[in-house]
This record gives sequence, C-alpha cells and structure tokens, in this order.
Amino acid sequence: MKLYIEIFLTFLRLGAFSFGGGYAMIPLIERDVCTTKKWIEREKLYDIFSVSEALPGAIALNASTFVGYSIGGIWGAVAALLGNLVPSVLIVFALIASYVHFKDNTAVQNAFNGIRPAIIALIVYAAYKIAKSGIKDFVTVIIFVCAFVACLVFVVPPIPVIIAAVVAGIVTKMVRRKSKKISDDERGGQL
Amino acid sequence: MDIMVKLFLMFMKLSAFSFGGGYVMIPIMMQELEKNGLIDPSMVTDIVAIAGMSPGPVAVNAAVGLGYCVSKLHNMGAWGILPAFMGIALPCAIIVILVAMFFFNVYKNKHVQSALYGLRPAIAGIVLYAAAKLALTNGIFFAHLDTLIKTGANFMLAGHHIAELKSLVLFAAAFFILAKTKLHPIYLIIGSGIIGIFVF
Repeated sequence: MKLYIEIFLTFLRLGAFSFGGGYAMIPLIERDVCTTKKWIEREKLYDIFSVSEALPGAIALNASTFVGYSIGGIWGAVAALLGNLVPSVLIVFALIASYVHFKDNTAVQNAFNGIRPAIIALIVYAAYKIAKSGIKDFVTVIIFVCAFVACLVFVVPPIPVIIAAVVAGIVTKMVRRKSKKISDDERGGQL
Repeated sequence: MDIMVKLFLMFMKLSAFSFGGGYVMIPIMMQELEKNGLIDPSMVTDIVAIAGMSPGPVAVNAAVGLGYCVSKLHNMGAWGILPAFMGIALPCAIIVILVAMFFFNVYKNKHVQSALYGLRPAIAGIVLYAAAKLALTNGIFFAHLDTLIKTGANFMLAGHHIAELKSLVLFAAAFFILAKTKLHPIYLIIGSGIIGIFVF
C-alpha cells in the first residue's frame, strides 16, 4: 500500500509540473523514477517510452501508466494514471474558469515565452538521451535521420515511421545473424 | 444524460484509435464535437490554448476543457468533465496494462530486441521533430506575423525572420542545466517562467 501511495504522489507532482505534454515529461520522470527512487533502470525507461509512443492515446498518460505498471503491477499502473490525471483535471478546470481574466495579461504571456524554450530544452534533452541509448551503429544513425526528416519535411505521421523503423530493425538483425552464421560456417569449414 | 454517454463514447473511441498523442488528437476531437453539434466552435480556440499551457497530458487537458464547454452549452454545469476524462483514461489503462503484462515477458526475446533496436532511434528522431515543431510554431525560428514574439530580440535577414535570440539563450541555458547539473526539471520550468516575465 505504501508503494502505491508513493507512486500516486510521485505522478501527482509530475503531472502538476509537466508542461508541454508527453515528450517534455521524459526528463522529469527519469529524474524521479531512475535517479531519486531507483525504481527502474534508465535503458528500460527509454524502451517503455518508445513503446508508449507507439500505442494509441495520450503519450504522457500511456508512459505514466506503463512506468507505474513496471514499478508496482496493475495497481501501480492505476496509481500512476490517477496521479497524472488529478492535477490536469483540477488545473484545466480552474484555468477555464479564470481564463477571461488572464487571457490578455502580459505577465502570463511573458512567463510562457520564458517557459517555452525550457520545454523545448526538455524535449531535446529527452531526444538526446534516447538517441544515446539507441544509436549504436550506422543503421541506427540512418533510421534516426530518416525518422526526423520524414516527420519534419514530408509530414509523415508517427505511426508509419514507427512501423517502418521496427521492420528495418528486425530485417537488419536477421541479415546480420545470417551473415554471421555464414561467416562462422566458413570459418568452421576452413578449420 | 444522453449527451454524457455520447461524450464518454466519443472520447473513448478517440483514445483507443488515435495515434501520435495529444496534438494529433485535438483536431479530431474538435471535428467530432462540431460534427455532432455539441460545441460552440468559437470557444474551441481558447480551450486548445488552455490545454496547451496547462501542465499534464495535452489530450487529457483538451478533453477536460472540451467536456466542460459541452456541458456549459447544454446547461449541465461542469459535469461534462467526468465522461470526457474517463473516456480518455479508460482505454489507456486497459491497453497499456495489457501491453505491459505482455511486454515484460517478451522483453528479452531476440525479435523484440531487434524491433526495439529499430524503434529507439526512430523515437529519438520523432521526439526531436516534436521539439523542432514546437520551436517553429511558437516564433522561435522563422516566425510569421501571427507567431512572432513581439517583445523578443528577433533576428531578421533580408526581411525574413530567422530566429528569436532571447528564446535561444534561454534554451541553451536550460539544456546546459539539464545536462550538467542535478537541478530537478520542475525548478527549471518555474525559474524560466519567472525569467520570462522580466526579459520579454
């Protein structure tokens, strides 16, 4: 029970401060879940994020639920999901109620002008960390560049990009295993 | 009551079948609500703005805001929030828990590892794209008239906007702090908001 409360409170705090949606949330989750609480290893967290991205629905919600599950099973998932939902619901409700009053407030607008570059930094940092764990050789560099260009220049939606990348990964590894087997066989034959 | 059920089913369908996260889901939500005559289109722009500036999952924020608007429009107080966010959350809970149960059993499987080998760099590319897109739509690079930060230090070349320099400095500082210090990102967000009030 104590663990579930801790998961709930962690995601409550993360939910209340994660501006900019799922991607910007990655460094925040990483700091709490990997560095402070040591609940999951970093590499595994990046894989959880990668899979969450490929599932339907809100990425931040998927990622939180997935992380919650890997910490505390089904109830861990529920605790993380609820923790992430509560601040959203309360804050949006409060903001709508007071929106007319602060809509044209320059201080609020300027605060967001300041927050935005920080959010972009969070997202770039998340990309950098995932790239560091995922880019290991020439093929992965190509996949990374293709994914970025396909989205930015050719406006391809994420799902076709993800499917193509998964297929590319499986095919590459299969070809490598095969060529490794052939070269092993050749070596065996020579001996 | 009829509208509540309709809202719940609509958001559930959206959450279960739309890929790509909040920013992809918002236009579909708007379309669906307008098609069904549930919302006043003039309110939608403000709701989307609020969803984007609130913390938390963007799709949830938008659902809460739109649910609120629908119930306001039909004189039902704020009760529309309930079916909207439950509709978003329920498929997520079911799908993610099922996938997670399966995922950790096959995590070490060589084909799953091969799939992740291809997936990781692609996700890095998509995340980087999300950052680029955010910078482009918020007047940090190549701003248009409607995205231009008027109080910013805008660098122009031959009449074209190239970059907003204050944002670039803040970005670089934030990235440096993230990479080199142990400061919790929450303080980074609060701090940059306060700095924003003074420099813009």
